[in-house]
Amino acid sequence: MRKVLPSSIALALFTASLVTICSPAQAAEVKMIATIERIELKEKSATVTLKDTKSDKHVSVTVNDDLTLDKLRDKRILEGDEIRLKYDDATGVATYFRKTAGC
Amino acid sequence: MKILRLITTLIAGLSLVALVEAKDHQGKDYIQENGYQGPATCEVCHPGTAQAFLGTVHWKHASKVNHVENLDPKQEYGMKNRVYTMCNGNDIVNNLKEIPPSPTTGKTKFTGCNTCHPGNHLQDVGSTGPEAEAAIDCLVCHSTAYDFSQRKPYKDAQGRVAIGQDRSTKAALAIGKPAPKNCMVCHDSAGGGALVKRGFAFTAASDVHAAKSMVCVDCHKAKDHRIPTGYDPNNWAHDGVRISCSDCHSEKPHKDADTNRHTARIACQTCHIPRTGGAFAKDFTHWEQLSDKFYEPTTLRKETNETTPVYAWYNKTVANRPDFIGPKGTRKDVRSKIYPFKIFQGKAYFNKLDGKLLSMDFAPPMATGNTLAGVASAANILGIKNYVPVPGWQTIYFGSNHQVAPKDKALTCYNCHAPNGSLNFQELGYTSKEIKKLTSPETYFNKIAEKMREEW
Repeated sequence: MRKVLPSSIALALFTASLVTICSPAQAAEVKMIATIERIELKEKSATVTLKDTKSDKHVSVTVNDDLTLDKLRDKRILEGDEIRLKYDDATGVATYFRKTAGC
Repeated sequence: MKILRLITTLIAGLSLVALVEAKDHQGKDYIQENGYQGPATCEVCHPGTAQAFLGTVHWKHASKVNHVENLDPKQEYGMKNRVYTMCNGNDIVNNLKEIPPSPTTGKTKFTGCNTCHPGNHLQDVGSTGPEAEAAIDCLVCHSTAYDFSQRKPYKDAQGRVAIGQDRSTKAALAIGKPAPKNCMVCHDSAGGGALVKRGFAFTAASDVHAAKSMVCVDCHKAKDHRIPTGYDPNNWAHDGVRISCSDCHSEKPHKDADTNRHTARIACQTCHIPRTGGAFAKDFTHWEQLSDKFYEPTTLRKETNETTPVYAWYNKTVANRPDFIGPKGTRKDVRSKIYPFKIFQGKAYFNKLDGKLLSMDFAPPMATGNTLAGVASAANILGIKNYVPVPGWQTIYFGSNHQVAPKDKALTCYNCHAPNGSLNFQELGYTSKEIKKLTSPETYFNKIAEKMREEW
């Protein structure tokens, strides 16, 4: 009486579940408001270390868009400034980097 | 043939060198030799410029205004003294100062509307005379190597609040006509954060002019430091010089005659600036506490290109009431054209006794969140004795004049000539019969069909 799945279907299901479980983690966009602790300027990028204001966790992101790099170079953005930050957690590249304060 | 190519290359090369040299500032050697002593150095070659600059809107933050209703034509208006709900304060009530310490952290900070004024704050908005001339920060607008960490408020030896300037030789050697970043230092962060007030970014990705490597002053071409402006209903002060698309583009800029016909009653911006962004609502009666424990007005905002404008008739005169600042104009008024606007709504306190919008000194609410203490302080500064604060909303129409989209992203026939399309024809004063005709594909069908055939 017991129904048994055909072996080909069982194998396919097993393979699909393995692929699902073992596939590499998807890159996700992380969003936070954070305070800049350190800025390291390089020729075409900058590494910025920030502290998440909610969790106090430290993150290090790469900034490589020209507009933000220019602001870091001429010190329109400084250590101690609070930033609205979005970055790709797989690459660590900042996709949004803006000071929270205005005039 | 080879010789001809060689000569052409040589001529092109020499022209390029000449162009680069022409762009080099002629006073470079003088500055290198003598260092930079502020406007006095500039005046060696540009005599009288500092004094003339003191008469411009960038220094005075105000001018006489003749296109806005309910104003005294003899008075000057602008950031210096206006009250509206994007800022709710001005240079007078929010004069740069050290705010009271936060009860949570005991820390204090400097804040004020006039942090963007190109002086040193000791010589402030609208000041005149030799000391004011000497205090002008020429390099903040003209140098591409300005060190902005030096342009910070501090207390001088006498306890007065001043703003520092970068007067280094390095910054002075990098002078020229203002680059977009010089303009955007102030114009990008107005209204409480990056791209909050007007919500446009002048980048190659978001504006066709920027994509062509144009800079702000290519259109806003100053004459004696008087900067031409458009007719944004919320931008009142002006230097008496105006700017419009037709200064560079003709009144019939399209290949197609039907499209050109539209320019008689539809502003270029309506089709070519289909998106806007930035803050769309703000509440000055309730401030949020931030991570540094200071408070800021609660602000709802979107990014550049994330909101759509609204459209209205505008004859370049402005309705100015406590609950509304926006365009005047009608379909019947031949001076009116349909323009796009960014809508902003702000909540603040109004005086129940006369209905006027009350101003707010940000120092008290920034430290403690107490907004009524801010209203009381502003009333005290302005000498307003009798008032009863009640919360209310004000709607403001901001001009949508930047962020010109690439041709293929502009509005086209079927965006507007459709039921529930981009334009609300009923709101714009058209009859039901006219709307039926205007929203039928009959108006454009053959033309678009032909275009599509050509494309494929």
